[in-house]
Amino acid sequence: MNKYSIINTRLPRVDARAKATGAARYTDDLSMTGMLYGALLQSPVAHARIKNIDTSRAKKLPGVKDVATAQEAGAVRFGVSPARYDETIFCIDKVRYIGDEIAAVAAESLESALEAASMIDVEYEELPAVLDPFEAIREGAQVIHSDYPNNIGAEVHQEFGNVEEAFKTCDYIRTDKFVNKKQDGAFLEPQACLAVYDPDEGLTLHSSTQAPHYVQRTLAMVLGLPIGKVRVVKPYVGGGFGPKASASTLELTACLMAMRTGRPVKMTFTREQVFWHSRARHQFFHELTTGVKKDGTLVALKNTCYLDGGAYSSFGIATVYYAGSLLGAPYKLPNMKYDGYRVYTNKPANGAQRGHGGVAARAAWEQQLDVIAQELGMDPIEFRLRNIMQRGDVTCNDFNMSSLGMKECLEAVRDGSQWEKKKGKLPRGKGIGVACGFFVSGAGFPIYRSETFHSTAMVKLSEDGGTVNLYTPAAEIGQGSDTILTQIAAEALGVRYGDVKIASGDTDFGVDLGAYSSRQTLMSGHAVKQAAEEAKRQVLEVLSEQLGIQADEMDIRDGLVLFKGDGVDFSALRSNYIKEHRGWTDPPTGDRLTFVEAARMAYLARGTIVGRGAYKPGELGGKYKGAAVGTSPAYGCSAQVVEVTVDMETGQVTVDRMTDAHDCGFAINRTNVEGQMQGSLSMGLGEALFEEIKFDGKGRVANPTLGEYRIPTCLDMPNVETIIIESDEPNGPFGAKEVGEGAIMPTIPAILNAVYDATGVRISELPVTSERVFNALKAKKQQ
Amino acid sequence: MKRLITLVVNKKACEIAVEPNRTVAQVLREDLGLLGTKIGCGMGDCGACTVLLDGRPVNSCLVLAVQVNGREIETIEGVSNGKDLHPVQKAFVEHGAIQCGFCTPGMVLSAKTLLEKNSSPSEPEIRKALSGNLCRCTGYQKIVEAVRQAAEMMKK
Amino acid sequence: MHLLPRFDYYEPRDVAEACKLLSQFKASAKVIAGGTDILVNMKKGLIAPEYLVGIGKIPGISEIEPVDGGVSIGSNLIIEKLVEFDLIKKKFAMLSKAASVLGSPLVRNRATIGGNIVNARPAADLPPALIAMGARVKLKSRRQEREISLDRFFKGPGVTVIRPGEVLTQIVIDGPPPFTGGDYIKLMHRRSLEIAIVAVASRITLDGPDGIVTDAKIILSSVAPRAVHAVRAEKALIGEKPTEKLFEHAAKIASNECRPIDDIRGSARYRCDMVEVLAKRTLRGAFVEAREQ
Repeated sequence: MNKYSIINTRLPRVDARAKATGAARYTDDLSMTGMLYGALLQSPVAHARIKNIDTSRAKKLPGVKDVATAQEAGAVRFGVSPARYDETIFCIDKVRYIGDEIAAVAAESLESALEAASMIDVEYEELPAVLDPFEAIREGAQVIHSDYPNNIGAEVHQEFGNVEEAFKTCDYIRTDKFVNKKQDGAFLEPQACLAVYDPDEGLTLHSSTQAPHYVQRTLAMVLGLPIGKVRVVKPYVGGGFGPKASASTLELTACLMAMRTGRPVKMTFTREQVFWHSRARHQFFHELTTGVKKDGTLVALKNTCYLDGGAYSSFGIATVYYAGSLLGAPYKLPNMKYDGYRVYTNKPANGAQRGHGGVAARAAWEQQLDVIAQELGMDPIEFRLRNIMQRGDVTCNDFNMSSLGMKECLEAVRDGSQWEKKKGKLPRGKGIGVACGFFVSGAGFPIYRSETFHSTAMVKLSEDGGTVNLYTPAAEIGQGSDTILTQIAAEALGVRYGDVKIASGDTDFGVDLGAYSSRQTLMSGHAVKQAAEEAKRQVLEVLSEQLGIQADEMDIRDGLVLFKGDGVDFSALRSNYIKEHRGWTDPPTGDRLTFVEAARMAYLARGTIVGRGAYKPGELGGKYKGAAVGTSPAYGCSAQVVEVTVDMETGQVTVDRMTDAHDCGFAINRTNVEGQMQGSLSMGLGEALFEEIKFDGKGRVANPTLGEYRIPTCLDMPNVETIIIESDEPNGPFGAKEVGEGAIMPTIPAILNAVYDATGVRISELPVTSERVFNALKAKKQQ
Repeated sequence: MKRLITLVVNKKACEIAVEPNRTVAQVLREDLGLLGTKIGCGMGDCGACTVLLDGRPVNSCLVLAVQVNGREIETIEGVSNGKDLHPVQKAFVEHGAIQCGFCTPGMVLSAKTLLEKNSSPSEPEIRKALSGNLCRCTGYQKIVEAVRQAAEMMKK
Repeated sequence: MHLLPRFDYYEPRDVAEACKLLSQFKASAKVIAGGTDILVNMKKGLIAPEYLVGIGKIPGISEIEPVDGGVSIGSNLIIEKLVEFDLIKKKFAMLSKAASVLGSPLVRNRATIGGNIVNARPAADLPPALIAMGARVKLKSRRQEREISLDRFFKGPGVTVIRPGEVLTQIVIDGPPPFTGGDYIKLMHRRSLEIAIVAVASRITLDGPDGIVTDAKIILSSVAPRAVHAVRAEKALIGEKPTEKLFEHAAKIASNECRPIDDIRGSARYRCDMVEVLAKRTLRGAFVEAREQ
């Protein structure tokens, strides 16, 4: 018999049917009687002082119920990290990017709201727009935020070991630069929200968010309401990938206008507004110097990074830390130095996106490692294996690899891709490349300083014993957490999958920090497991009382009670259940006592059976400044081999085949793990080959459409051979840890390394467009 | 000025008065309550609003309601026969082809149209047929596999 | 959500009524066929016509009909049908190929051949292939009908010789002479949902399976305000024996003939370089097809 019945299977998602039939409701699908439609007025200039705002014409338009500016919204600052609250609902004195929110209108129709917003007259005094981060830090540059006169919003300086001394012991040292481009999450569902205010009940916001809890706290703080009077409910969400992980002006505005008008207000971004709001992947300018010994031993890494932050901090303070801390591992590297600078510019704010802060760094370093391996005359896989970390190793910045199947991943992709048959043996124009990566399995600390639990959960048994209600504030955004948590609850309680009814994404259910930093399987999973186990314990206690058997002599599995001893007589219990259920059509039969009967008895004995769970990480390593960003209860890791064809005449890159092995600790749902792997690789392929937010000379996004901002279509993405590695994480529920973000880490460098193998040219600027490859080939020819 | 149009939606005749500037996507969602049709971009770039117009998948955000006067539309709500899922839907559910679900209605409609024309499509044919429907979550692999599985199911 | 600006909508029952409406409304009206281009521009606020004249219900302009060895295509025919129809696939393969890489399946099911022509986008997919095949367009107004070569139809981005009150009704392509072959290649970032970085359509006619080139067309797209001939390159082919070397030579000339601009999809320099690659490849393709005929 398998150890488990529900987990480590391929059960279909709990929400699949609703989504396949179109019945699933997303935020923009909601509407309410008396609902108003909101529209924003956003800045048409990148940097300007606001001289005057005149709303009188807008207010007179029929159908307009509210017009709000900073005067109505107030000056309470918010943001992501309390140390960098630099936003207000509406601009007060200045606009800082094209798209910055100045005012909003609520009206009876969207058409009226949009028209009224266009009738708000704003007088600007234009200031020089600072669009380039290196211009921004130049002496005398125009200041974007007066608190940061040099336009550096955050900087990090860390050193572990002694890099300069270590370089002296190296046989080979090289320095490379690398730059990616500002990206967009490009989730298919534009942000939307619906705010409802009732003076007695308080404020309810339905929102397309990854983090109901943070939104709740921000709304309460900015709008001056007690947290208990603010409820955030997340309907189905059409993808997030990072940009939906914090409270936005859209949400605050809808709430503000709902409170002012007493009527529900719905607001939805256009696709263009999604691009303006952004909060997605930063542009990173890395310079890496790596030193090694002749035998391939990695000795030291010096990493300098400038991040183009855009107009506000958003997640940036975490990003600038991650751009340093996510290097080193998964290799044994004793010396690492990092200097990071996040620079304000007059462009949409950058924030978090899948593989937060680490993706560009990883691309830069894994490509450099490939060069180093070649210089040393070593196979890239052999070189990596020589330095690989294993379970129990601790990085120089104090990350404890409590489980790490990195070596297993690398060997799996080597064998799965038939690396040895191909590497160095492919014709010109065909190439193969490899890379590794790792990622946190949940941020070790909340965004605001607190001893809060990171996840709580509740399991309630229905009075008839037939249904298990799971209440979790965790956020299902498409990644599958509802399914994973349902499986965990069913397994831990010993019931069937279909017996558990999950309700999630509602702050009324408790605290869960949300869907970011790949945290929910591990953290929400722990809370749910605990809650289910507590409910089970109560049922077994009642059984123990009624049958006179020790609780530890019994167990529950697959909806049945298991007795360790033989000949347990539960007939009295069963007749009691049948008596209780006179007229019901499904009296229990068979020679086994069912969970339904047991749960009913437990209810009769104790009232509603409720199990509670709460999780926060235990003591984590790192006492240095910034240790909170990167320390995690566990780390996922992966290795990938990519095969490409490069058209040597046009420079066009085609990714033919990908082999991916990911260590997720333990796969709660194997199909979902593969889905996360394949989706990550697809996003990585997009970032490697196509994706780039472009700006015109005035700071306007030049390609705010899904036509000109190119995510892969199904003709661009090859099939992936997906290999799941299970290293049994001691800190994870049932041994599970992340897959959602770590899987993107090796994709870009594996593609870059394959392009090199095919062409002999190294590309150090993303995306790897045909033109960029063509130019590199041409330059090489001319040498 | 509003125009009165008659059309067949999911095999049911309807008569609606619409302003000329409203799209099929808007009318389906706002007037007919068929909220399974999603609006991801409004510019014909993503395919989330796919519906079948006289049997052909189109971006309903780029079709005026007045243009479909007298024509037939099928939305995701018309695909399953009450309780029973269409084989394409069944395969999507069983095969892990759904993550956030926002592209799913459009994907299902594009896939269903393909299989009605071509009962055993090759993988390139499947990919080509779905190449107007963007998905950011799945990497498409499980969607393609599901369509293949649906083809098998439909043959039986 | 992007809303469309307000407008009034007319749906004429025949071409004559359409012409009447268009001459009445003049610049304040636009024709809408598939709408995949005009509605996007209206949502973006680039244009705001007071009237839209829908031609979808006009009989006789949505068909493909063989005519004297050639074909007459109704302007309201959707692009996907150019991909589906055997006649086009077999006899005008280059057009079918160009149609198959336009936009996406969803766009091809709505966008029309006429729309792709009259919008006069510099990177439009069908005009290069159609020009290479010597297509003509029929323009109807209330009083007259004229037929002009597509070669003389485009004036610049969004600008054509169409007069107010005129409707494009048919596209006519003569049957290819013997030993004629063509090819169209579109260089794209992605493999779907794309506008060309550069595209080239080439067609050559030989005087026999192993004969010399008697006619040649090389049409370059997305390198000028409209699709243009690589005139000197075409001349360089005529009267010559088709060889790989000749194609390379002509392709190089073509590359030097174009004057593209830098834009969001690619630089001028890259476009010139790619004209050379695509011209060579399409000539090769055209040659293979021409010999098979």
